[in-house]
Amino acid sequence: MSYVTIDQVTKSYDNQVVLENISLTLKKGEFATLLGQSGCGKSTLLRSIAGLEGVNVGSILIDGKDITNLSPRQREVGMVFQSYALFPNMNVFDNIAYGLKMKKVKNIKSRVNKMIELVDLIGKEESYPHQLSGGQQQRVALARALVMEPKVLLLDEPLSALDAKIRKSLQKELKRIQKELDITTIFVTHDQEEAMTMSDRIFVMNKGKVVQSGAPSEIYTTPANTFVAKFIGNYNVYSMEVFHKLVRSSELKGDEVAIRPEVLQLVSPGEDCPDLQENWGIKGVIKDVTMTGNVLRYEVEADDSYFHVDYLHHRGLMFEQGSRVQIIVPKKECIVL
Amino acid sequence: MKSSLTFHKVVVGILVLYLLIPLIGTFLFSIAGKWDHTILPENYTMKWYIELFQDERFYDAFKRTLFLIVMSVGLSVVIMLPTIFIISVYFSKWERLLQAAAMLPYGIPPIVGAVGLIKLYSGGPIPIAGTPWILIGAYFITILPFMYQGIRNSLHTVNAVQLVDAAELLGATKFQAFRTVVFPNIISGILVSTLLSVALLFSEFALANLLVGGRFETLQIYLADKLNSSGHLTSAIVITYYSVILLLTGTVLKLTFRKDKGPIMSDKKRILSFFKKIFRQKNTALEGEN
Repeated sequence: MSYVTIDQVTKSYDNQVVLENISLTLKKGEFATLLGQSGCGKSTLLRSIAGLEGVNVGSILIDGKDITNLSPRQREVGMVFQSYALFPNMNVFDNIAYGLKMKKVKNIKSRVNKMIELVDLIGKEESYPHQLSGGQQQRVALARALVMEPKVLLLDEPLSALDAKIRKSLQKELKRIQKELDITTIFVTHDQEEAMTMSDRIFVMNKGKVVQSGAPSEIYTTPANTFVAKFIGNYNVYSMEVFHKLVRSSELKGDEVAIRPEVLQLVSPGEDCPDLQENWGIKGVIKDVTMTGNVLRYEVEADDSYFHVDYLHHRGLMFEQGSRVQIIVPKKECIVL
Repeated sequence: MKSSLTFHKVVVGILVLYLLIPLIGTFLFSIAGKWDHTILPENYTMKWYIELFQDERFYDAFKRTLFLIVMSVGLSVVIMLPTIFIISVYFSKWERLLQAAAMLPYGIPPIVGAVGLIKLYSGGPIPIAGTPWILIGAYFITILPFMYQGIRNSLHTVNAVQLVDAAELLGATKFQAFRTVVFPNIISGILVSTLLSVALLFSEFALANLLVGGRFETLQIYLADKLNSSGHLTSAIVITYYSVILLLTGTVLKLTFRKDKGPIMSDKKRILSFFKKIFRQKNTALEGEN
């Protein structure tokens, strides 16, 4: 049973289509991510769900109720902005209590205190936003949205302004809170790693369209097209013509071939290619080696094409720049697009 | 490190002295009896102040000036604040138009503006030339750039658009969002614009003289008139109205920021620079009048 339904939503500004016929559904309690490069329409879609932007065509339903034409305050959604948008004139407590005060509900104090405890900000109630660190401001923004018990929580790149270490710990905490409250969440990010870590389901967007959706591992291992392959996993992508020439075989049929850099292996040219039934061997020269800490990335040239090959960095450098190698390509890892 | 700090202190000291000397000179002149061939006055007297405070014309002029300022600045806040807010939050593509309109007064010299206004309003449906009302209108336009820039900048600084979005998502109406979230965060900006406008209008002479002149004697017109009779008396007037402005602005600032524990640091800086501006303005006014 779908909890959030977005049905054929289209939106354009001045003849420029920002969202094109987008349809998607979410289950209750699901953590969904809209992933894409800047300008792909992911934030616009989120703002449309919040009611901060209107849509031209289509409808948006939450819990069976059509909210397409409701104002933001009637939608029962909570949102955390990229720059937090905390109210600078109010302290942490008043920021979190703001929505409850507007709704004139009872026992504001206990609800706010419970929320402060949940986001681990006890002792900071009297602080003003400018006295808090970025991570703490982020927690206040989250608490302020959650205290309203929204049906859907919208997060617009909430972690992108934080440094890497705090981002990692907040990712975990966000996920913990989301599971604890079992709240349906839509998260927007351009960082594919963040999307993979946090989501139950990812919707990859490009140029105003959802180009692929699915569980993180599904998206990563079986990209539906070249865009997803390149954006999600640094795939090596070749046209079929070039690939046939490289492997001297026309076994595969299709337009393009995508291969993950971590399934490739490098061996010295003298060594035999293991099991020619299962693999192809391609001769090449190491052009460059980069080290990103735990990963060694070899750039190998073969017949004017380049291969990226990733190794875990446990044996040190196996091949120097300029040395001749053979690339082992496992047949079953080649994805035809 | 230490020597460079000394250098900075000396520069600031010289600057302060440079700004204060005309003011001190004026003050001394206003309490001087005989002051011809000595560095400091030979004797001191309060008679210029006594004469001033016994002059009914002075009180009337002061009241008129205050009336004009309160009316025009008040009108400006009431009209411009919602206008700028609505334009920058909901119709941002019209912002350039508003900006251009708000900057227009800079392009029109007071004399040209005054002549045009007299021509336009001496007849026709609104014959208000020669009355204080035309002056209120003209002053509204004069302070428009200050009000516009001040309010717009504070709105942008607090990112008003997003604050309103956030408040609305939390269940506030647009008006509630403005009142509870935007207004408290831009009040200091509005105040600075307002005080700047008040200071500007206090020393405004050209428009007042041309548009209404002796028929509605403002402080500056009274001052210009007294220039012919006694320099001591004009000095006393200048010192008096300067003290009044200082008292007024000081009180308002203190009242506004007393309970504000929040973003006070940046405000303090802004107020400092604001006072510097007043200083400069007063001094140029003094140079012209003595």
